[in-house]
Amino acid sequence: MREGLVGSLALVPSVFVYATVFGGLAVQAGLRPVDVWAMTLFVFAGAAQFIAVPMLAGGASAVAIVLTTFVVNMRHYLMAAALAPSFRGFPRRWLALIAHGINDESFAVAVARHDPPDPWCFIGSVLAVYGSFVGGMAVGTLLGGLVADPSRWGLDFAFPAVFLSLVAMQLRGRIDWLVALASAMVAVAAALVLPGNWHIVIAGVAVSGIAAMVLTPEAA
Amino acid sequence: MRTDVWAVIAGMALVTYLTRAPLLMMLSQRPLPPRLRLWLRLIPLAVLPALAVPLVLVDHGRLVLSIAHPPLWGAVVVLALAAWRVNLLVTVVVGVGVVAVLRAVA
Repeated sequence: MREGLVGSLALVPSVFVYATVFGGLAVQAGLRPVDVWAMTLFVFAGAAQFIAVPMLAGGASAVAIVLTTFVVNMRHYLMAAALAPSFRGFPRRWLALIAHGINDESFAVAVARHDPPDPWCFIGSVLAVYGSFVGGMAVGTLLGGLVADPSRWGLDFAFPAVFLSLVAMQLRGRIDWLVALASAMVAVAAALVLPGNWHIVIAGVAVSGIAAMVLTPEAA
Repeated sequence: MRTDVWAVIAGMALVTYLTRAPLLMMLSQRPLPPRLRLWLRLIPLAVLPALAVPLVLVDHGRLVLSIAHPPLWGAVVVLALAAWRVNLLVTVVVGVGVVAVLRAVA
């Protein structure tokens, strides 16, 4: 556990800042601090939370927001499946709690340090990430209330800016670029004809699905 | 703000838990099929641009490709900074600043 905690310390500043940005923007968008706290504690999934806030503020339907959240978080299946063999022998009650801590950063730490991943290293990393995520969010909700008239400062561009940064950080191979560009084009076309926010889920699921069928799995 | 915020958060928490708990609790020993793994890996790569690019290029149901559109320049700056691995806070602050300045001079 210690190894996971210490090994994740390098991640603490970036997770903290990420969560501070989230907390600040969520309050700016009109959520109450108690809403932001509840979402962070019980959803605990950064990208999905960033996506949900402008949808909530913009009046998107509850079904659209929840479905988008599910799609964005489907990658957890990948991590849960890869971690599962390491957790044999753990009581089910513990697993029900540990599952809530699954996140990209801790998965990366646990997989990079041991093969197969060490369960205690993973748990230690989850504690570090969860703690800095909640702490950063708390600071963000305090700071977010300080700015009045957000669009005057260009703050309405903050959400697109976060999403674009997340895309750019994930693009590695040629396949990634191909999928991202194709999805962007399909989404723009769909957004021009469809009402609401359905273009996100439609383009996201369809383009990644087609790519997964057409490409060879070894290429990934 | 709308009245169903708590219901939406509860729904988000539930579906997110359903992406995390089942496979971990089943302690499944078999790895997922390769094509399914590939799809699960590609989903966020497709969802994020599908979300971000229309926010920049589509305004009230119309395509905006004018160079006088501040978010377009903000997007270019953000992508460049993120590609250089500049941290998220700095990237967002600079992107927001570019949009604010262009709006002020326009």
